[in-house]
Amino acid sequence: MYKLLLCWRYLLTRYLALVCIVSVMLGVATLIVVNSVMAGFSTKLRERLHGLLSDIVIEAHDFQGFANPEGKMALIQSDPFLSQHIEAMTPTLEIFGMIQFACNGTALARPVHIIGIDPAGRARVGGFAEHLLLHKGKPSFELSPEALERQHVLHPPHRLDRIAAMLLPPPTDGKPAPAPPPLDVSPPSTIIIGYAIAHFRAKLNPDGPPEEVRTLAPGDDVIITTIKGHGLRNQELSPVQWRCAVCDYFKSEMSEYDANYVFVPLSELQRLRAMPDRATSIQIRIKDYRDLHAVKDRLQTLLPAHWELTVHTWEDKQGPLLAAISIEKGILNVLLFMIIAVAGFGILAIFSMIVVEKTRDIGILKALGASNRGVLNIFLSYGLLLGAVGALLGSAIGTAITIYINEIEQFLTKWTGHELFDRSVYYFNEIPTDLNIWSVLVINVGAVAIAVLFSVLPALRAALLHPVRALRYE
Amino acid sequence: MLENLPLLAAVNLHKTYRKHAIEVPVLTGVDLEVFAGEFLSIVGSSGSGKSTLLHLLGTLDKPDAGRILFNTERIDNLPAEQRDRLRNETFGFIFQFYHLLPELTTLENVLMPKMIALSVRGWLRQRRTLKQHATELLDRVGLGHRLHHKPRELSGGEMQRAAIARALINRPRILLADEPTGNLDADKGLEIIRLLRDLNRQEQLTIIMVTHNMEIVGNTDRVVRLIKGRVEDATKSPSLLQPTMTG
Repeated sequence: MYKLLLCWRYLLTRYLALVCIVSVMLGVATLIVVNSVMAGFSTKLRERLHGLLSDIVIEAHDFQGFANPEGKMALIQSDPFLSQHIEAMTPTLEIFGMIQFACNGTALARPVHIIGIDPAGRARVGGFAEHLLLHKGKPSFELSPEALERQHVLHPPHRLDRIAAMLLPPPTDGKPAPAPPPLDVSPPSTIIIGYAIAHFRAKLNPDGPPEEVRTLAPGDDVIITTIKGHGLRNQELSPVQWRCAVCDYFKSEMSEYDANYVFVPLSELQRLRAMPDRATSIQIRIKDYRDLHAVKDRLQTLLPAHWELTVHTWEDKQGPLLAAISIEKGILNVLLFMIIAVAGFGILAIFSMIVVEKTRDIGILKALGASNRGVLNIFLSYGLLLGAVGALLGSAIGTAITIYINEIEQFLTKWTGHELFDRSVYYFNEIPTDLNIWSVLVINVGAVAIAVLFSVLPALRAALLHPVRALRYE
Repeated sequence: MLENLPLLAAVNLHKTYRKHAIEVPVLTGVDLEVFAGEFLSIVGSSGSGKSTLLHLLGTLDKPDAGRILFNTERIDNLPAEQRDRLRNETFGFIFQFYHLLPELTTLENVLMPKMIALSVRGWLRQRRTLKQHATELLDRVGLGHRLHHKPRELSGGEMQRAAIARALINRPRILLADEPTGNLDADKGLEIIRLLRDLNRQEQLTIIMVTHNMEIVGNTDRVVRLIKGRVEDATKSPSLLQPTMTG
């Protein structure tokens, strides 16, 4: 009983111990916030990645792809197990290339990942239609009226044609005059481009936060350059180039995708690359995500080896990135636990001081019959209590910061004029957080354990004090 | 027959302290017998070893050689837990500097030996009775109005009274007092001695008091003088012919 009473009194009267509480509190709060934000990023990234990628991808090794994707899809559908588990399939043709466009009179070029898709089919596989800005949910390569208008401004009908039409003699045979050439000129092709290709963030006002600047409006021209194979077995490569009008933006909030991906109609890309009825991959969406590996295994056995197709799940495709996130989180946790270890050294130092300060009291307790173990337990319980109070306060603060992290970020951005969370990096509208009760619990237990661990040494010292020497201590 | 045997006895006690490899012999063969109900004074000059003897008798320290017997049973070589229990139940200590715990109130200080003896559950079960007992003890020593004061709010005499109440809470057989008046003025010192004398007479409490103040030893049954680590002379108080007699 005396241990609890003394612990409690020491907690209330030794203000030095507050330093221990504050250090544990800060450590725990930091760990909770960082863990929640990291977990938030990780969860959101996984969601995004999975959202963008189909569940399973069948890919060709050869950049020229494989022939007859429809036939292969039909083969897959003919398998009873697969037809039962597969929700949707679509062929895509992917190739690297370059995009060129003019921005304020400056010609810009950047590498891109060109994906030929059938919009309806790609939408069924998921992770596409919902990320379109203008045709959200209804993917299409059609130009909106505004985009068409812009095309018209950029490419007015040839003036000579109109003059010629005006100079034609009036009809003499009573037939109606031939219609003048159409005013609008359809672009040769349309393209959906990644949002980050068409926009960038810049600090227009030196005092204000960075703003978004659009470089490509719907209807603007871009030139796409890629390669096509020809000659014997398509081994010789030559460039192919075409002009397209921007019809939509793809905004997945993943900078990796938004800054690199452009989508063009599959048939158009097949035609331009001279590879009719060919695709580089088949994207598959399955009905129940739990069957992912079963479907993958079945596909691997179904597809003949000589087709040289590989089957990947979305996790296989993003394995290194997901592993990197996991490793980052692990390392960060180790580093942050060192903060609590530093707090532990604080506890060690402060406890040692308290033991020296309380030497005579320890002697008194022993004279009154307290055992060495009892004295040890006073200081261990004291460490436990400090750790627990610090962890509890830290959890409260950490949880509050995690919940209001976006409000805090907005306030700090407004106050400092410096954007703390650069949205151009991730395109998350807000800082994602994932407050996991188990990780909070583990952090708390870890912090309390460290507090107790670092109080062992001073507690042992107190327990082993000789009662007479302790009583005579001045 | 037991009445003729000493309650507490020291046989040929030796104790040497070491300071930086220099050996300082403090006790060099002390023999002492204390009988039940006796109020014994141990006097001696500074450094004569009287406090060391008291610590050895109260099992706070171990002798280098010799034996300490309580009710004819050796107690100096008992395991630590049993010696802890002896200090808690059989011996009551009072010190020159009172040694109250500054974080606790007077009542809590008095209850401390009980708290040490009891588990949390035992304490919770008995706390009302125990608090009442402690309050009565504090009333008895004249501190009934100071129950919830911290030691820093008490005078020296009051603190020593609180320490006496604390020493009595477990109804000890022997009270060991180390210079109980050493830090008090003459009047307050005399009050404390009177209180101890009353306890000795009314409760049959055996008291061993160490002091260098020759003025107060007149109130005790027997005086033992320590000189250079040995019992030099034992003088019986003229008022008492038999050591077991009580006033």
